[in-house]
Amino acid sequence: MRWLRFAVFVLIVTVLQASLVDVVAVTRLNIKPDLLLILLVFFSIYSDTSEAIITSFTIGFAADIIGPAIGPQMLSFGIFGTLLAYLHRVITIKKFLYKSVAIFITGFLAGVLAYFLTFLKGEPSPSNIYAVLFGTCLYSSLAGPFLFLPSAWWMRIKTHRFGRR
Amino acid sequence: MNMTRKQARVSSRMVFVWFILIGFIFLLAPQSLTNKFQFAFVHIFRWPLRIGRNISLSARTERVLTDVVSRREHNQLQNYLANVTEELLQKHKKVEKLSKLRDRLYAMEGAKLMTADIITASTDGHNELIINRGEIDGLGEGQFVLGDNSIIGGISEVSPRTAKVRLITDPSSKIAVKLGKLETVIQGDGNGSVKVPLLSIKHKIEIGQEVFACKKPGFLDSPVIIGTVAQCKRDDENPILWDIMVKPACDISKLTDVAVIIMNPKE
Repeated sequence: MRWLRFAVFVLIVTVLQASLVDVVAVTRLNIKPDLLLILLVFFSIYSDTSEAIITSFTIGFAADIIGPAIGPQMLSFGIFGTLLAYLHRVITIKKFLYKSVAIFITGFLAGVLAYFLTFLKGEPSPSNIYAVLFGTCLYSSLAGPFLFLPSAWWMRIKTHRFGRR
Repeated sequence: MNMTRKQARVSSRMVFVWFILIGFIFLLAPQSLTNKFQFAFVHIFRWPLRIGRNISLSARTERVLTDVVSRREHNQLQNYLANVTEELLQKHKKVEKLSKLRDRLYAMEGAKLMTADIITASTDGHNELIINRGEIDGLGEGQFVLGDNSIIGGISEVSPRTAKVRLITDPSSKIAVKLGKLETVIQGDGNGSVKVPLLSIKHKIEIGQEVFACKKPGFLDSPVIIGTVAQCKRDDENPILWDIMVKPACDISKLTDVAVIIMNPKE
């Protein structure tokens, strides 16, 4: 893993997520793709297990920095990113559809856990949280696999090397 | 070979455990402490964040044709008119009461309006703004924030150079308001609207009725418009209560700058 590239990449994506991604927001609920979730799945699939754990927690921390509270996303992204990395040892996630499904399920589960932890921290939750979460995961799962290629190019990762481990 | 594999697995688990611990420390740490990370990020990356936000705002403006600027100006004037009318009404009442006390003529007399640029805005779920003014500019918790001459929220946290604005649409935001002659409280619903909870149907509420933030000594000297009643129907779960939705008086998602009301500034 090229960690300096990873750090720069996560910073750029965090800034984009906090500002520019609103351009592609849809519906009245302001649903937009979660670039950090896409990155989480990308690194969970295309990294070794230890690296996937570190990247998952780091990306979760970045999501917390631009979120309502520090901690919930770090834990939820970390846990589900790690689970996905372990799952990838037995299931190959190579096809476009599988990547989309992985992003959707990981995003939904991580989102539910993050909102639960945010609630534990005393932050109130919006009324239509599940609709927003569903929309965000769906949008991310559709856009995500297309962003894997530029991510792999930036990280100098040869995606065809990563199958079951 | 097996030994090496086992060692690698143990180290992965250790990494995981350590990160989980760090995560829980962050989760349980006081918000005032962890907020420093968020403020630091916003402060360091304020230029790219602002540029990104401006680009996304201009892209949205193009999407909704060219009447947005005039509509915003229209909204600003409409809100100003509503504030002045309400203020005039209040003054008339005071004159009628023959109080003979010297009153401030304008809502903002003695107050300083500190304009601030929005660095980041979160309008999904948690409705917050981060602005480029902070403690050293005289900002403090509880101060009201204006957008297009209407109240859009209040300062919830401050750092030396930045501050967090909790919008009226945030679920944790509760503001005392005047709805006609009635004084009540509004609460954000997290979806860009505001609701008036627990209001009995014996009160007469009309769609389009203006909602004003109540006076709050030390923070607001005169009622200022918040929004208008957009929906008023019987609550499905409790038919003796109204289900009232209030539409904010300005489009918060399109704001680029705000003004913070600082009552009785030191300078």
